[in-house]
Amino acid sequence: MPPPSSLKQEFLKKWMMGLHICSSSKKNMSILERKKAIKLSADIALASARNGTTCWSQAIIVNASQDDQDKILVQHVLGRESERLMKKGSVLPLTSNKRIRSRKILRRSCGSIRRRARKTIATSPPKVVAISIAKKLIRKRTQLLKRLVPGGKFIMDEISLIEETLDYIISLQAQVDVMRSLANAS
Amino acid sequence: MERIDGTGARSVQKTPEEEATALESIQFTDEIHRLISAPSDNASSFTALLEMPPTQAVELLHSPESANLISNDTFKPPHMEDFKGRLHFPTNIALVERAARFSVFAGEGSNNTNIEKNSVETALNDSSANLKKAVKSEPAETESSQPLVSDPTVETKSAKRKEREKKAKGSAKKSKTAANESSDDAEKLPYVHVRARRGQATDSHSLAERARREKINARMKLLQELVPGCSKISGTALVLDEIINHVQSLQRQVEFLSMRLAAVNPRIDFSFDSILTAEGASLMDSNFPSIVTPLMWPEAQVSGNRQPYQQQWHFDTLQQQVWGREEVCHNYITPENSLLSYDSSANSATLHPNQLKMEL
Repeated sequence: MPPPSSLKQEFLKKWMMGLHICSSSKKNMSILERKKAIKLSADIALASARNGTTCWSQAIIVNASQDDQDKILVQHVLGRESERLMKKGSVLPLTSNKRIRSRKILRRSCGSIRRRARKTIATSPPKVVAISIAKKLIRKRTQLLKRLVPGGKFIMDEISLIEETLDYIISLQAQVDVMRSLANAS
Repeated sequence: MERIDGTGARSVQKTPEEEATALESIQFTDEIHRLISAPSDNASSFTALLEMPPTQAVELLHSPESANLISNDTFKPPHMEDFKGRLHFPTNIALVERAARFSVFAGEGSNNTNIEKNSVETALNDSSANLKKAVKSEPAETESSQPLVSDPTVETKSAKRKEREKKAKGSAKKSKTAANESSDDAEKLPYVHVRARRGQATDSHSLAERARREKINARMKLLQELVPGCSKISGTALVLDEIINHVQSLQRQVEFLSMRLAAVNPRIDFSFDSILTAEGASLMDSNFPSIVTPLMWPEAQVSGNRQPYQQQWHFDTLQQQVWGREEVCHNYITPENSLLSYDSSANSATLHPNQLKMEL
């Protein structure tokens, strides 16, 4: 993880590049189009500032490169590394297939556990019930977090989910700081 | 031993009562084993209780609630879990000493409390290898204190209890000789403070599981430090709630800021010089007050990229900043503000120019 200031500078540079490309490709935009372009280029810049090393940045790049028009932008912003990252991005769905399968297996086994747990809950002492409720709460929140972090669906284990979240929060914070200072300046 | 023998003879006379209490205690310990995640402490305290003369043991066991209270108060497992991150052996010992002072066993004299302390120490030290050895080397010296039993089911249960007793005694003995060594070991080894259930958790799977949990805890702590106002909250679910809220608010801020930028700037290309000065200042202020960071990009990067941007600036300055337009944009923003609640700094930043205009 680079220090936040260099991350910000990298992000700003790439964002400006992306904005320049956007504006040169299309002259007269409505406010919503402008907003969309700004947000997209900011996201791509953020992802490319992290060099596509993390899951969430890869997911952003892959999501952006689904659309043809945005693909050009992604390629321009990423520059030399675009081929590598795109390739990496294409690797992601492949692994995700495997992960989906394993998730199915996991769910099946979880189901049996849950059934067993339901049986035991009726007769178990209150402390055990409390523990199971706490576990359920945590599971729900973990799933919500997975939905929030881009590419979080493909993250299976909790350690890497937390790491991704850490990285994502730091990057988002940098993005928000840069955007706010820009908004205040202009 | 002599004392126990004598009381053993006494205990023959009142076998039924003794049996009942033994049964009770067995069920109780089993329940505790099921209930509490770190049962070794309780078990050891219980065996300490069983090692006392039967009369007192009977007295104590007739009020299991109080015993439960004691064991739960003194050796609260969640607290130990909290301590796990930063292992303080001295504090643990202090805790044990305090527990011994406040417990009912305090009247028993130093002998029992010593045993208790030592057994707790060994339980903390995750020395199940020691336990196995202890089981082998232990002579059948607790035989005499066993009550006469006729029921076969009770027999098996009491055999279990005997086993547990033996283990605890052995570990206590062992730890008397090597108490200092074990505390030294605890400081050297990384996973010693992650305690294992007795009989479990020494195989590689549960060791790996424990290491994983450690990792998760460490990263959660990092996250807690990162998210503002989250460091005081305990409880994984609440912390996760805070993290989710933070991520959501950041994402919403990005949305809002991009909307604002789109509203303020008629063209997507922003002017660059004002950004750089403001950006550099804010970077210096917010993150590195002490470290001197370069305000601009390094020269090597700049030399290649700068020329087109400079041209861009001149172009922009010619075209930019029509006041009326900006006013319109601010008017556009205000409903946005009232609808969505962002954090206060963003609000104040956007409201400020509006207020100024109102005053004018």
